[in-house]
Amino acid sequence: MARLRDVSSLRRGLHRRSGAVGYERPFFAYLLNAPSLLAVLLLAAYPIVYSAWISLHKYSLKRPRVFDFVGFSNYLQILQSQEFWSALLVTLEFTALVVSLVVILGLAIAILLNRRFPGCGLLRGLILLPWAIPPVVNGLMWQWIYDSNVGALNGLLLSLGLIGEYRGWLSDPTSALIALVSADVWNTVPLAVIFLLAALQRIPRDLYDAARVDGGSGFQLFRHVTFPWIAQPLLIVLILQTLSAIRAFDVIYVLTAGGPGTATTTLTWKTYLTTFDSLDFGLGNAYAYSVSFITLCLALIYFRLLYRRGEFEA
Amino acid sequence: MIKRTGRTLELPSLATISSTLAGVLVAIYILAPFSWLLLTSFMREQAALSVPPQSIPAQPTLANYLTFFDPSGTRAVVGSRAAEQTLPGMANSLIAATGTAALNVILGTLAGYSLARLDFRGRSILLVVYLGSRMLPGIAVIVPLYLTVRTLGLIDHLGALVITYLTFTLPFTIWLLKSYFQAIPRSIEEAAFIDGCSWLQMLRHVLVPAAAPGLVAAAMFAFMTAWNDYLFAVILTSTIASKTMPVVVAGFATDVTTERTLMAASGVLAVVPPLVLAFFFQRLIVQGLTSGAVKD
Repeated sequence: MARLRDVSSLRRGLHRRSGAVGYERPFFAYLLNAPSLLAVLLLAAYPIVYSAWISLHKYSLKRPRVFDFVGFSNYLQILQSQEFWSALLVTLEFTALVVSLVVILGLAIAILLNRRFPGCGLLRGLILLPWAIPPVVNGLMWQWIYDSNVGALNGLLLSLGLIGEYRGWLSDPTSALIALVSADVWNTVPLAVIFLLAALQRIPRDLYDAARVDGGSGFQLFRHVTFPWIAQPLLIVLILQTLSAIRAFDVIYVLTAGGPGTATTTLTWKTYLTTFDSLDFGLGNAYAYSVSFITLCLALIYFRLLYRRGEFEA
Repeated sequence: MIKRTGRTLELPSLATISSTLAGVLVAIYILAPFSWLLLTSFMREQAALSVPPQSIPAQPTLANYLTFFDPSGTRAVVGSRAAEQTLPGMANSLIAATGTAALNVILGTLAGYSLARLDFRGRSILLVVYLGSRMLPGIAVIVPLYLTVRTLGLIDHLGALVITYLTFTLPFTIWLLKSYFQAIPRSIEEAAFIDGCSWLQMLRHVLVPAAAPGLVAAAMFAFMTAWNDYLFAVILTSTIASKTMPVVVAGFATDVTTERTLMAASGVLAVVPPLVLAFFFQRLIVQGLTSGAVKD
């Protein structure tokens, strides 16, 4: 900040130099954007188009010479396969569970951290811990907690008398999905908390005072004062969290590998399996495109929300 | 907890008590899983495999961490490839993540400035392109990316990873820095021009220092994304020449002979750099996040 003051004090008594960088020089703007645009086009736009092209072909690394145009038959094949619908269902279940838990838990913790109580400052720092843990490490950590022989969860529940014997949490289809969801929620909830906490802190204090004078209390205060202020951030958390749940990969890879059976095989995981396990690049890209399509629809909603905020006109 | 205010003895209110209790629960929820990992990394293998599970190591040891420095030493029989690869993996991750962060800041400043300050045709299209590419799921482009990198002969090169991460982090950086630059008054910038600064000098001496918190936040997010990535790293790397930490740590899981305590220690190491960054720049993260996604 000291530097800023220096500059503005120097400004006095100096004549205006013409020919400094103007604000309407399009060529300069394009030049500044060129490197970024190149990176984005080369490694995002080009692959996405290329991926569409591959998905219209019969192309497997098991027979790398064959690259036959087959139109939409890869898509027809996945739409008619039971595997696709099962993976879609698992994706929906996983996403719905993760998103609702993150939003509810995130909001509850954010509201808590917005209050004053002994140790609240410490807790605000602590909440960042799960966020800093790479998903792969997170997956391994939970794999061990859920372990059927030496896991902490079994040890804890048994000592509390909640279960009679050790269980294989990851070998039962239902508990495996729940275990996966809990692990992912633990990892991603801090981001929602930080985001919502920032939104809560932006609410002017006197709004609450005014509402209290009018006789509002508890839930009424939340509904009529807090909620309107955080509705938009909440929606953004919802959408970003949905996007990240759909693309969850690392934690599935490490924790369940899509199993038991196909109980935790999401579309993202199915895409990976088809592509890099079965080496069927044509079909794999058709799967990838179905993931992209769902993501695209969500992104459009996100854009609309930002539009409504006037973000684009800024 | 009891405060004396004037004549009355004021007890903590019910709200404070319930908040504190809830706070303790949240703290346990956050700390318990990670402490399990941390404590295990200081255990001997038998202790870690005991039933019922031990929470506090009876005989804490540094042996697991020391194994990484001397992988062919006393525990060479059990110590697997993953143990040997832990330290080089850390180095690779640091290089990839730092490189990604540095490039992000440089390219993001240029593009962010143009979007914040300059009027030109296609500006809003560019904004949408950047935002749109941020939404792209990695799995959707992994195949073409793999094929392209293979054609370029860059499989197993850290450079390929850095460029890939750059693509996936740059859009956020650009949006974040755009908001930061917009918050800085134009008059400061114009004053520098009046002083005879060239555009680059103005950038270096005025805009960059003024937007420093934004630049640091952008660098941090890029670092974290690059550090955490597994999907691209596992596809684009094959040997320890470029394997990053998540790939090495996951390698422990697939290797049945590996000791769990070693795996825990390696996992803890992988957490250290992002954790240090997160706590060090706590305030900036909050600022960065909120101005990146929602504008004030």
